[in-house]
Amino acid sequence: MPKRKAQTAVSAVPKASLGARIKKDIIKNHQLYLLMIPGFLLLILFKIGPVGAMVIAFEDFSAAKGVFGSTWVWLENFKRILQDPYIWKITKNTIILAFLSVVVVFPIPIIFSLFLNEVRTKWVRNTVQSLSFLPYFISAAVMVSIMYTLLSPTSGLINIIITKLGGTTTNFMAKPEWFRPFYVILEIWQTFGYSAIIYIAAMMNIDPTLYEAAELDGANRWTKMWRITLPCISTSVITMLIISVGNIFSVNLDRILLMYNTGTYATADVIQTYVYRIAFQSTGFPDYSYGTAVNVLKSIIAFVLVFIVNKIADKVSDARLF
Amino acid sequence: MFMRSTYVDWIKELKWYDVAEERTGIHVDYISGPEEAADVYSEVDQRVISGDLPDAVMTKLAQTNVYGPQGVFADLAPYIEKYAPNLQKYIDDNPDYKALVSDADGHIYGLCKGTPIFADLIGYRVDHFKAAGIDPDSIVTVDDFTKALETLKAYYGKDNPNYYPLTGRDTAIRFASWFGAASNISSTESNGIYISGHYKDGSIDIMNDGAYKMAETMKKWYDEGLIQPEWVAGTFSEADWEAAMLNGNGSVFYDYYNRPEWFMENGGPDNDPNYQMGVLNFIKDDNGNPQKMPVSTKYNDECVTAVNANCSEDKIKTILTFIDYFYSEEGEILANYGVEGESFKDTNGDKEFIVDYQAEEATPAGEKRWSFLSDRFTVCKPVDNEAFFKWNAPLIAEATGRLFTDENLGTSYVLKFTDDQSKEVTNLLASVFDAQMSGIAQFIDGARELTPDNWAAFQQEMNDMGLSRIEEIQLAAYQAMYGA
Repeated sequence: MPKRKAQTAVSAVPKASLGARIKKDIIKNHQLYLLMIPGFLLLILFKIGPVGAMVIAFEDFSAAKGVFGSTWVWLENFKRILQDPYIWKITKNTIILAFLSVVVVFPIPIIFSLFLNEVRTKWVRNTVQSLSFLPYFISAAVMVSIMYTLLSPTSGLINIIITKLGGTTTNFMAKPEWFRPFYVILEIWQTFGYSAIIYIAAMMNIDPTLYEAAELDGANRWTKMWRITLPCISTSVITMLIISVGNIFSVNLDRILLMYNTGTYATADVIQTYVYRIAFQSTGFPDYSYGTAVNVLKSIIAFVLVFIVNKIADKVSDARLF
Repeated sequence: MFMRSTYVDWIKELKWYDVAEERTGIHVDYISGPEEAADVYSEVDQRVISGDLPDAVMTKLAQTNVYGPQGVFADLAPYIEKYAPNLQKYIDDNPDYKALVSDADGHIYGLCKGTPIFADLIGYRVDHFKAAGIDPDSIVTVDDFTKALETLKAYYGKDNPNYYPLTGRDTAIRFASWFGAASNISSTESNGIYISGHYKDGSIDIMNDGAYKMAETMKKWYDEGLIQPEWVAGTFSEADWEAAMLNGNGSVFYDYYNRPEWFMENGGPDNDPNYQMGVLNFIKDDNGNPQKMPVSTKYNDECVTAVNANCSEDKIKTILTFIDYFYSEEGEILANYGVEGESFKDTNGDKEFIVDYQAEEATPAGEKRWSFLSDRFTVCKPVDNEAFFKWNAPLIAEATGRLFTDENLGTSYVLKFTDDQSKEVTNLLASVFDAQMSGIAQFIDGARELTPDNWAAFQQEMNDMGLSRIEEIQLAAYQAMYGA
């Protein structure tokens, strides 16, 4: 009976309205909300706002007439995409490149951070981590020119080694079959240190008693890595995987344009380079609407993929992004 | 006036430009745009969207054709008639110019600049040829040229694995005219991608039998190490080419008309005291008959002056008065020769420069000089070809005098498209041109076997992608402008 009374007492308290609760929350946390305003404005102005401009994909856009004055052509641009004989080739190139980026690039920082976490000497660990992070700040132009220098058929280190070993020189940067491996290598070089930070941060939050208990049970470092560390960072891994899948069509345009040449064209031409040529390198009148329509289609496919991966992640490991 | 930053820098260095402002009493404030031309046109778009268009802009014809009728740019036709008599006379005297700048209703939304007419030249190391025992005058046909490359390779390549006699920058697919297979257009046919500068650079009609022969010959050059393979692959930068020509890793190139002189002035003789560039005669056909080389167009549709439609009549009058001056006799002489007694002398109507080309052009960037490089955009004006070629180093002046004859030079046309044509051809070009160049390079480097069947399949692939449609649109545009 006392329990019942208590329940009655609780339910008797009238619940505040949503508006009142929001007001109360704002008054209580007004300093935090103030801090949030600049970031929120930036988000609206530069991330959410421009999404609205994608409406030009359904128009015959003219800068003179503006977004609201241009003629509506509805799905005409999308029909043109589906009728474009070239779109399938570049879509295939984009998907292969994106697939390689996820399958090959994604596990590297996880493996790297797992091993780095096992390094006991603090200064060694910090130094390696800092050095691995450095390439993230190097521009695509510098990275690609380093690669060109290393792979030059006349003076590149790689070809010198090959010829010293009795092989023949190869102009790697002009071979379509080598474009994808080198793109992926640059992607790993540039991003693995950055991504590793996220995993290392997640490892810092693992309860040390788990390791102590495992040690008492006789677990070696290998077992601890696979049985404790990896499962404990699985949420971060899945979050990063979903983000990676979301970016699956967002290949690095700068890098591709720098690596792109007559020789590698067959594998290097992707949706972004095609859109770039139509919208920004156009020698006639740039077709912004068509370029935007291609990007809208790309975004929709990426969103569907994210949704599917999120569902799978939820079913497989009870971890999801939304 | 808004324009590409490079052009603004050039204007600021010109002595004759200052004289023009002084004589007209009109001063122009220039707004420096981006360095890359494509970015300049994008910024024009952005300025149109944001309503931040200055009084005048340097843009391209494709933009004025679309934005003009939409009210962004002023229709200059009535104002030209009223305030620019010299320009009006030029338009009336040059129907090709009139067809280019006017729309079907006679509106003029932009004015194209004139450009000198020239072809690429074959530059070669005179000292290399002499050492290898090659007589440059013996090179008449492609076979002669190939033999010369083989001789050079045998002489210089035996000790230098990085030596390739034929080298260059940008695309290596630039020899189609030597095989009679350059892109071309007339009132009855359109062959190959012609627009977007490809009447000259990257000009090739892959349906022409000569194109197959070109691929065959270039493959031979490639297989025998006569042509720089990285150039064929597209990985040889301009700096790589310059280095190769300066340090002796190359002997011959086919490039912009004044590049042979460039090597003389930019380190050639410093690297090697015997360094001497020369210019070969154009390659003739197998029977020794002259062939028409692709040339630049008479007008540049990517350097177009347009006036903001919001300008007052007074402002438009001022802008046109300034442009009109360069179409007057006095203005034309000033922009092409400078000031009499200071930069040129006139002997019975024969004008000769009295300032030294090399000394003036060696003036450090940013400093004032006499310069008459009319291939550059400075102001909208006509070009005196004779003056342009006189304003060159003796090496180039001699070569252009010898080679730029009616017998050797073809004619190139600027084409103007309707909105729909422009959109369609832009999208098709974005896929076809690179695919075509890459496909030819694959035949040359052996990635794809060069056989008649494979070549026919390649032709079909290009047509399926839209090459034949591009040719149809080009022909329609030509007929609309110059008559069927």
